[in-house]
Amino acid sequence: MINLKNTLTALALASVMATTAVQAEIVVVVNNANAVALSKNDVSRIFLGKMKSFSGGGKVVAVNVSSASATREEFNKKALNKSSSQVKAYWSKRVFSGKGTPPKELDSDAKIKEFVSSNPNAIGYIDSANLDGTVKAALTL
Amino acid sequence: MKHNKLTSLFATIPLLIATSSYAADINFSGFANIAAGITTSSDETFDGYTSDIDFNEGSLFALQVSSDLGDGLGVTAQIIARGEDDFDPKFEWAYVSYEFNDNWKVLAGRQRAPFFMYSDFLDVSYAYNWITPPQGVYDLAFDSFDGLGVIYTSQLGEFDSTLHFSAGRNRDDFNLADPSEAENIVQPDFNKLVGVAWTLNRDWLTLRSAFFQTDMTLPVPALSGLVAGLDGFGFSQRSDNLEANEDKVTFAELGFQVDYNDFIVIGEFTTLDLSDTGFADSDAFYLSVAKRFDNITVHVTYGEKDSDIDNLLSDLPSTISTPIVNTGDPTADFITAATTDATYAAIYNGTAGYLASVEEEQSYITVGAKWDFHDAASLKFEVTKFEDDGADNTEATLLNIALVTVF
Repeated sequence: MINLKNTLTALALASVMATTAVQAEIVVVVNNANAVALSKNDVSRIFLGKMKSFSGGGKVVAVNVSSASATREEFNKKALNKSSSQVKAYWSKRVFSGKGTPPKELDSDAKIKEFVSSNPNAIGYIDSANLDGTVKAALTL
Repeated sequence: MKHNKLTSLFATIPLLIATSSYAADINFSGFANIAAGITTSSDETFDGYTSDIDFNEGSLFALQVSSDLGDGLGVTAQIIARGEDDFDPKFEWAYVSYEFNDNWKVLAGRQRAPFFMYSDFLDVSYAYNWITPPQGVYDLAFDSFDGLGVIYTSQLGEFDSTLHFSAGRNRDDFNLADPSEAENIVQPDFNKLVGVAWTLNRDWLTLRSAFFQTDMTLPVPALSGLVAGLDGFGFSQRSDNLEANEDKVTFAELGFQVDYNDFIVIGEFTTLDLSDTGFADSDAFYLSVAKRFDNITVHVTYGEKDSDIDNLLSDLPSTISTPIVNTGDPTADFITAATTDATYAAIYNGTAGYLASVEEEQSYITVGAKWDFHDAASLKFEVTKFEDDGADNTEATLLNIALVTVF
């Protein structure tokens, strides 16, 4: 009985630690010249294709990190409040009914930073550990 | 046969790719549903399924090709090959779209009429919990039309609002027979189709309504004898009411969806007015409750459909007694009068029998589960218990399994 309890505690601890390890912070990044202030709701609407322009007027160009990345799943959960399957189902509704297309995918945080720094209306998200001066943090999730 | 048709579908791909050399980027996407169904007892048929397991009825492959030509202009074609049509590929969507700005978008060409909440992605089973949306509600003569769609999206306070206007026509071949019977193909004309669907969405809540009308022409060869007969006895108004010949018909829908904390509640109510067409009016609804457990979703749906038709015989006599006209041959004169009476009785009874046969009082309950075992694929199981207390007085239990995917 006591052994079992210990084992359970150890398992619980291990799972908490494992979760902490992957739960890095995610930063939504925009071009350094973009002065826009974004709420979490704005970010969700942008990445679901509902908000198509920044309040300043520029046409939003959103980029996702590759679906193989852990950051993508974390972003789906934190910003969109959806599982990866739910996001896929959401976009399949829009793609196959002519209502919209999902944001383009880039392979890595480095490529996202490169894209966002060279495109004034771009928006993406990266692991906070990879944030540097080339892009601006608009929101931390 | 099937192989050839599939081959011809995929043979079009290199052709389309070849086109890309002088056009913008071409995007390919698609979806597929592999579904099997069987009724639990040998005398039951339902929704095209019998007690022999069937893999064709609900299976389909779809390929979408689209190209963004820049400056808001796009071209999209969606080709679907359905098992129930021997995998004969058909264009379900084929349109040119133009986005004027963030709010206004126009689609010109072949497109889906947004009758229902799930019309736009009716065949994309991956996008919803059921294998197909409840058939009692999703039961109109056509899904797509050729014409113009105008989509206006805006924000109304906290809500995202989508107004979708449609105008056009559908003249696709229509099968009058039940799915399990031999085909009885006729050519209808749903002309001057106009409608609007309005969707409001805020976070976990979606509200929807739609209204459509069209001028319906749908010849039913089996009724032509009754129509001519009623006409022959001078009841041309009644015969007209038994025929769908440019008759104005209307459809209205109300729906809602709540998706909150992994609980999903969906409901739709529809009313179809087919007065004076020889087809029954119907009111239908369903209510569905689902709960998501990580990658498994379980759901239960209850629905009803009531179909009624106006009794166009209500103030006609059930028999007539034709006076004998004396032409000098009493036997012949008697036979002429008796034949007229018998013909009338046959037409009256035939019409009454037909009117009774289209009345329906259906109810069904579906229990199912969806397992998202892969990022782009789900496995679905469903059991449906169906009852019709109308003219058919049937009941059936149907088991379905489906593997659905998007790519």
